[in-house]
Amino acid sequence: MVRTPPLPVRDTSAPRALSPMLTRLAEERATGVLVREYGALHLVEGRVVYAESPLAPGLDVLLTAHGTLAAAAWQRAAAAAEGPLHAAELLLASGLLPAGALELCHLDALYDAGYFALAPSSTPGRFRYDGAPRTGPLPSVPVVALEHETLRRRLQLHRLWPDPATDTAPLIRADPPPGARAAGPRGSGARCRWPGRATGGAVAAGGAGSRVPARPPGPRAAGRCGARRRSGTCPVCCSAPGRSTRRRTARPDGTAPARPRVTGRRPAGVRPRAAAPRPRRRPAARRRPPGCRGP
Amino acid sequence: MPGIDECLLEAMRLPGARGAALVDWTSGLALGTVGEAPGGDHEAAAAEAAELARMAAEHGTFTARGEDRPPVEDVIVSNADSYHLLRFVDTSFDSSVFLHLWLGRAEGNLALARIRLGEMAARLVLG
Repeated sequence: MVRTPPLPVRDTSAPRALSPMLTRLAEERATGVLVREYGALHLVEGRVVYAESPLAPGLDVLLTAHGTLAAAAWQRAAAAAEGPLHAAELLLASGLLPAGALELCHLDALYDAGYFALAPSSTPGRFRYDGAPRTGPLPSVPVVALEHETLRRRLQLHRLWPDPATDTAPLIRADPPPGARAAGPRGSGARCRWPGRATGGAVAAGGAGSRVPARPPGPRAAGRCGARRRSGTCPVCCSAPGRSTRRRTARPDGTAPARPRVTGRRPAGVRPRAAAPRPRRRPAARRRPPGCRGP
Repeated sequence: MPGIDECLLEAMRLPGARGAALVDWTSGLALGTVGEAPGGDHEAAAAEAAELARMAAEHGTFTARGEDRPPVEDVIVSNADSYHLLRFVDTSFDSSVFLHLWLGRAEGNLALARIRLGEMAARLVLG
């Protein structure tokens, strides 16, 4: 009797890196662009210098959305440079932007786009080597740090509401409560960032189980909900935290569900169990979804 | 025009400064750290300080009146051993960060630190 050896199978029980290829590229201090399903990471000598994703607003959007930088100035720099990162460096060199402001936007954009780029994907990533490593003045991030932050955001999303369907539910602008003024830093417009950015509205719908919309393409949206932010239609941004607000999710058929009333506070001492499959009370009710702030 | 690192190093020159960090209060991510961390862990300190900042900024009780001003400037915590000063950075772009300065109580001058940190926060984003 011939005994055939078992076929090798991937051990899915062991924790794996977000992207084994990225880990290897970091170890070999590679320079180039890693293109994955939901975004791309630009590496220089194994460090992430720039990240882009269609699901997160880029550096240009962050800089020009509220007039920090004139859109024409960005376009001029972008035309003269190769890629947004070099355009930003041009702007820095020309003194059009303060270093601190640019670094802040750069890191915000990098971590947000990096989150999506490292989302689980159904297609293998591709890496294009670039022979000319060049480090610029803007800060770069170790691969390990980006992976760590991505995992932290995933965990926080899960804690906010364990059902992933709420992370991608379409959001509808809430009716602001009469006389309510959203607290939050000024000048931000409908800003909606970070875990719960895209999730908060759906989370706030309270027990979204019966009205979970069809899952749109894309990973769990834990970065900026850029489109909503830009168009000012994020319900989470448009309501004052800590106050009674009403939010809705849309059904796939376009009808709006009954609007549950969500109060922004939970009784003192009540802490939700993160692992509860469908808590009766909104788990993160005492905080608004991080990143969303009022207009 | 200072970047994040220069800003934090400048904060560390204040008398009694033990550590400083620039933290995104929406995510709890430390975008830059320098010196010691309260509790020994910069990441945990950033996450916990972000919770405190968020509570202050998001609840109407603590926010300033008027639409065109930042809701909160500082959050100050004192204990028997040290001061914690959180200074919100008011930006024209979408951002939600604060400077967190940890001061030794014996050497630190809270009033001076508050004024200086406010100036640093403005220079960080205005140049």
